[in-house]
Amino acid sequence: MIVKDSAMKRKWGMAIDLDKCTGCGACSIACNQENNMPIFEDDSDVPKRVAFLELMKVTNDRDAKFPDVKTAFLPKMCQQCEGNAVGKHKADPPCVSVCPAVATDVGDDGVVSQIWSRCIGCRYCQTACPYEARVFNWWKPEYEGSFKNSLSTDVSVASRGTIVKCTFCSHIWKRERDKATANGILDINAVLYTPACASACPTGAIIFGDLNDPESEVSKLAKSDRAVRLVNTVDDETPEKQKALMSKKQYANPKVYYLTSQKWLRDMMRFKKNS
Amino acid sequence: MKKIDRKDFLKIGGGAVVGGLAGYTLSGAPFLGFQWLVEWSQDQYVPAPGIEKYVQAVSDSCTNGCKVSVRMIGNRAVKIESKDGVCPACLNGLQLLYHPERISTPMKISGKKGSGNYQPVSWDQALKDISSKMNALVNEGKANTIAAVNKNESLNGQLMEKFVRNAGSNNVYYEPSLNSITSNALGGYVKYDFAKTDFILSFGAKLVEGWGNAVEMQKQFLNWKKNNVKIVQADSVCTRTGGIANEFVGINPGTEAVLAFGMANYLITAKRMTSSGDDFAKWSQLIINKYPLGKVAKLTGVAEDKIKKLADDFAAAKNPVAVAGKGAHGVSGSSAEIIAVYCLNTLVKSGAATLVKNSAVSYTAEFAGLDKFIKEGSFSMMFLNGSDPVYKSVYGEELKKKLEKAFVVAIAPLMNDSAVYADYILPPLSFLEAETPESKPAVKALKESKDAKEIIISLAAMVDKTKNALPKTSADAYKSAGRETAGGKFSFNFEKIKADIEAYEKKLGQNAEYPVTLVPYEAPLVGDGDGLAFPYVLKSIDPSVLNLGKFYVMMNKETGKKHGFSEGSSIKISSARGKLGKAYVHLSDVVAPETVAIPLGFGHESYTKYGNEKGLNPKKIMTADVDPLTGAADWWSTRVKIS
Amino acid sequence: MIQFIKNIFQESSKNMRITLYVLIGLVVLFGIFAIQILFWGLGYTDMNNNFTWGAWIIGDLGLVALGGGAFTTGYFLYIFRVDKLRPLISSTVLIGFMCYLFTFVFLLFDLGQPLRCWFGFAYPNWGKGVYPASMLTEVFFCLSIYFCILVVELIPVVLEHKVLIKNKVVAAIAHYMHLLMWTMAAGGTFLSFFHQGSLGGGMWGVLYARPVWFAPHFFFMAIVAAMAGGTSFMTMMPYIAGKIMKKEVVPMESYQLLTKISGMIFIGYFVFRVYDVYTGIAKFAPMAQRNYFDMWGGYYGVWMLVLEFALIISALFFLNQKKYREQEKFMVIGACSGIFAIVTSKLSVLLHGFSVPNFPWKSFTAYMPTIQEWLITLGCFACMILIYMVFAKWFPLFPHLEHHEAHDESHH
Repeated sequence: MIVKDSAMKRKWGMAIDLDKCTGCGACSIACNQENNMPIFEDDSDVPKRVAFLELMKVTNDRDAKFPDVKTAFLPKMCQQCEGNAVGKHKADPPCVSVCPAVATDVGDDGVVSQIWSRCIGCRYCQTACPYEARVFNWWKPEYEGSFKNSLSTDVSVASRGTIVKCTFCSHIWKRERDKATANGILDINAVLYTPACASACPTGAIIFGDLNDPESEVSKLAKSDRAVRLVNTVDDETPEKQKALMSKKQYANPKVYYLTSQKWLRDMMRFKKNS
Repeated sequence: MKKIDRKDFLKIGGGAVVGGLAGYTLSGAPFLGFQWLVEWSQDQYVPAPGIEKYVQAVSDSCTNGCKVSVRMIGNRAVKIESKDGVCPACLNGLQLLYHPERISTPMKISGKKGSGNYQPVSWDQALKDISSKMNALVNEGKANTIAAVNKNESLNGQLMEKFVRNAGSNNVYYEPSLNSITSNALGGYVKYDFAKTDFILSFGAKLVEGWGNAVEMQKQFLNWKKNNVKIVQADSVCTRTGGIANEFVGINPGTEAVLAFGMANYLITAKRMTSSGDDFAKWSQLIINKYPLGKVAKLTGVAEDKIKKLADDFAAAKNPVAVAGKGAHGVSGSSAEIIAVYCLNTLVKSGAATLVKNSAVSYTAEFAGLDKFIKEGSFSMMFLNGSDPVYKSVYGEELKKKLEKAFVVAIAPLMNDSAVYADYILPPLSFLEAETPESKPAVKALKESKDAKEIIISLAAMVDKTKNALPKTSADAYKSAGRETAGGKFSFNFEKIKADIEAYEKKLGQNAEYPVTLVPYEAPLVGDGDGLAFPYVLKSIDPSVLNLGKFYVMMNKETGKKHGFSEGSSIKISSARGKLGKAYVHLSDVVAPETVAIPLGFGHESYTKYGNEKGLNPKKIMTADVDPLTGAADWWSTRVKIS
Repeated sequence: MIQFIKNIFQESSKNMRITLYVLIGLVVLFGIFAIQILFWGLGYTDMNNNFTWGAWIIGDLGLVALGGGAFTTGYFLYIFRVDKLRPLISSTVLIGFMCYLFTFVFLLFDLGQPLRCWFGFAYPNWGKGVYPASMLTEVFFCLSIYFCILVVELIPVVLEHKVLIKNKVVAAIAHYMHLLMWTMAAGGTFLSFFHQGSLGGGMWGVLYARPVWFAPHFFFMAIVAAMAGGTSFMTMMPYIAGKIMKKEVVPMESYQLLTKISGMIFIGYFVFRVYDVYTGIAKFAPMAQRNYFDMWGGYYGVWMLVLEFALIISALFFLNQKKYREQEKFMVIGACSGIFAIVTSKLSVLLHGFSVPNFPWKSFTAYMPTIQEWLITLGCFACMILIYMVFAKWFPLFPHLEHHEAHDESHH
């Protein structure tokens, strides 16, 4: 048996290269399939849609007119916010501290979890989330007839009236760890994994990995000039101003980084033009 | 010992009850009871457990030949994964496999055509009935009234072509595809060597959105980024390809061909470039006379200098290539446009565009192409091999009438708008159940479904004339699969397209009755409609396309203001061919002025409950001028009025 | 029993009969739609993943804030011994009790899993310190305990029923409960400060990632809002009841006093609200790189803010000037303005708050309650009115009135 250190070293993060995204939708299909998303006859009720990954279409027609326009797709999942410590308050995601029933928590690997059977369905976490990443089962999840055959046993089917969300497919990590354990490796840090969306991306635009490991691709990408976090405005400030702001207020500080060299797209990820 | 009297007994009993209740409450049992009530009242399906394993599957029903790894739990497939990328059709393979409306036994019509009433029959009976009908037609000398429409050029399409041709019919068609259309226009389809080019000038080709071979193009896209290949997209809607392009040239709708004329004009007159294609002299003369740069600038909305600059850049690149074939999945067939764009390649002597042919796919039939056949041809027997021409052709309504009168056999795993007119529906396997030389079936075949290749082979064996024409088994079929061969010589086919070139000016001019232009665009995964039967595709549709049952078209903000539309207001669109039902307006400047962009792939009539009655099918009102060379309708841009 | 109900209808005037039919009709429809929502879920509402809360939370916010008049009045009466408020206290306690009762009802409907509501007590999110981590945990506990206090405060009103009070034991209990009521009032005030703050404001103010709501002082402002609006509400309810019953149920001087208190608290609220808007513009919106006024748009535009301030100023104007307050007409206008100012603020917290887009490429959203949401909301209000009517008719809700009637009888 190999047990080196049982303390968690991982901090999972994601970097999504929007310049490489063609909007093919493979990530969305993979996510829905992996996480047993309910199947409805008419899923055009977008505001009540149950899906962890939303392939958002972003255009710059707020800032430009034809023909100086651009179109991109932005796969949006739970941004696994980290928050930041302010005074005595420890850092936590916007959604975790508000849950009245401790149905959601942030693990020491940085993934915001959700216990579907604990959730009372008050939707306070959804209200707190700035990324609309949490979805509520407004209707009972359905899987018509033989569609049930394609359900995975790794993700439990949620009840009506509960919040569900993207967990960076952490069940895949558990699967990988279980395999390692079967081989006698008990170290929780031993294996890496790839969430469904990242492994489905045909252009390799979604990079997943350990942000704590400075050698990992994702931590290098997260530090690159091309990285920008969705609506996390504090990133745009000077380091001093950042420090000052973050000592007064928590910011979402997501662990999902979007990469782009396109100025228009960086602009569109902020509410103010040319920020 | 003291005797326990009645009072004591009651006390003890009461105490026991109270204590018991307290203990019960404190034990948490009532809460567990609550939990149980929750579970019982909302009983949720629990997927059956099983042993996890991965098996490999290869698709031979798509043109890419996708290779996937299937995650199995017991004997259930729960996920398909791939390192190489998967084509849009195979992406939905798992949802097709377990689709609740999947057809899994041969079906014979039991009501009026189009009603969708079918009853299961045995394979023997179905094949016997179909082959005897076919034998009768052959014997009566009416073999040429047998027709087939293939979905694509995959192996089963090739077998179908062989089967019908050997029966004595020349009526084998393919749903208009990039290959079929360019083949007919140019004498071979264009094989682009995108890896070697440094400048791509695309005339509305949605290069990274499914155009050509979607999987291959995604790989090329990464190469372009790596090698700093310059991409210029000329289009009237800025889609994702416009977004990734280094330069987006916004043009008026339907003017791709005119832009190509203008650039050719400039390269020929100012740069003294020539093309080796037949009839070049006549063609260039017409272009020079008819489309001087000033006029081109006016028609396309691109400034004269800009056209010159584009042409200069194009000509100056080391190995430039111009790409025709608008659309991601849906293609429309103007040979004048395809020839003009290909001409640019020949002018600059591009080494990245060569004409090739497939040895097993001829694309030459009785009529030039499918739309022309539907419009003018007649048939008494029709094979629909995975195809859905009623939905996809602008002549869908006409085809319905002809299918009603004919004996129709559809090979289709799901009901669709065309199969609903079939006398027999034969269920093919999904690629996860099919065996290929490279892979065993990943999943056991559903009920009685059979491999499409086997269906065609066993049918052929029962028809006297084709008995020995086809391979005996599907395994043999792979050996006779088509190979790529050199294409014919490029010709401008001047006499045939002359009128069309001249007609552009009139088509694009002012039109008081139909002032705006309708162009299609394609949403991710939906494509030109095949994806709509799959619930996870429905889950991925952007709210700017379909939201709360409302179907949206895009319109330029200023155009919207001019015609009195605001965000979300309802719109009715009608063309000379008819009118569409109610849609709603989404104002967005990614669309050129005086243009309405409508999503393609919606408005199915019989494509399972998931695909039905969602949105509108614009092809019902789109222009239906059949191109003389491609035989396909040039429907891409249509003059309409809006109210 | 049937005869009894028949008599009620026969005794009532035509208008009252129609009112009763409407109210009872609403309650019946409430029952029908309640079953639909509880058994088939929240899909039937117009709430969605973006507009996560709707009519019922507006109801909660409004009810709790206006019900806050109960603790304020109780506090002044029992702790400060402002005896002029005594004629109002029974009515106030009853309204407070109902406001909280129906807050629970609304909250229960809003839960996706009402059967799991006890999870809030079983698995509270306390965090490490004394204070709960989640504002909703605070709401769960404070609201429940305060509700118990209101029940205790309400018991004397029931016990003082003219039939029951004849029993010596009952009379003694009622008497001593009255004497000890200050402990309840003190406890109630203490608890109210917490849940008024949390449900009314803190719950929104802590949402640090939602710039439209984030404001650390929101917690405290909500307490002031509840005290200000609640006292006006506690004046208006018995006033309206008196108008309908055509009797002087509460002496005018009691109304005057409570509206005076309300008016004074409104000064505090006005200052606080101005500070709130100022910090929103100058501090909190810029902290998230948002423009405060850009966040007002769509259907719930800046007009809501303007309306709210107009109502606050109207309340300030009429309630704080003796010459106006002492005219019944202006007192009513002032108190109503106060009530509507608070209701508008709650509406704007929710409607405007949720309508603000989270992504720069999205636009403002809107919310329109479905028939289910309307009827459950209105059904609850109808229930409240019916209960109030029952108490007004058969219980000593208005001691002043009883006193007068007894007085009148002795004259005859």
